[in-house]
Amino acid sequence: MVRQSIPANLAALSDIRRLVHQGCQEVGLDQAATYRLTLAVDEIATNIITHGYEESGLSGDVVVSIERTDRNLIVTLEDTGIAYDPRTRGMPTAEDLDKPLEDREIGGLGVFLALQDVDHFDYQRCNNVNRNIFGMNLA
Amino acid sequence: MAFSANLEMVDSEARITLEGELDAAVAGQFRQAIEQAVQQKPQKLVLFMNNLQFMASAGLRVLVFAKQHMGSEVAIYVIGAIGPVLNTLQMSGFQQAVYVQESYP
Repeated sequence: MVRQSIPANLAALSDIRRLVHQGCQEVGLDQAATYRLTLAVDEIATNIITHGYEESGLSGDVVVSIERTDRNLIVTLEDTGIAYDPRTRGMPTAEDLDKPLEDREIGGLGVFLALQDVDHFDYQRCNNVNRNIFGMNLA
Repeated sequence: MAFSANLEMVDSEARITLEGELDAAVAGQFRQAIEQAVQQKPQKLVLFMNNLQFMASAGLRVLVFAKQHMGSEVAIYVIGAIGPVLNTLQMSGFQQAVYVQESYP
């Protein structure tokens, strides 16, 4: 199991992606699934850094944990920013996704992509810590 | 690979070459290239993505920004994007709003 604490700033996103990519390679996840998991983690990490910490006037870390179970690769992001369950955000409807770009809302796509891209997603809030948990099925 | 967004004006076309990984940390560079292009009032925006290895939703937001500031009559072309980037465009409903081509012209 890998567990690494990374300062919560946008410049650290590439470090988070690199950790996830390494974890995927170690368990032999295929390229498409690796990209989907990496994108999902990047989107939620971006939200944590931007909304959970910076816009709330807070600072802290994002702790990235990667572990393999019998059937899944699990990536967990932990942070001490404001409480936020991504699942509570309204997802774009088919009608929204059909709109011309010039009529689009500028936000909301990140969480949508994140939750669509992984096989399993869970959120927990324990002792003032947010835990975003991503799972990919292993063949 | 470090991200870069290089703008070149060819006649009335704004051509931007995107390379590296496009995330929220660097999306401002892409937006800056779009803002420079807007000032030239292009008739077409062509985005070369052959060497773009990763694109987060921050990149999609810049595409929305481009369309909103260039106007609906300015067509956006996406050239040479890798499969996962195209998949992101498709999932977000962007594929029907841009012209996707393997090469250009």
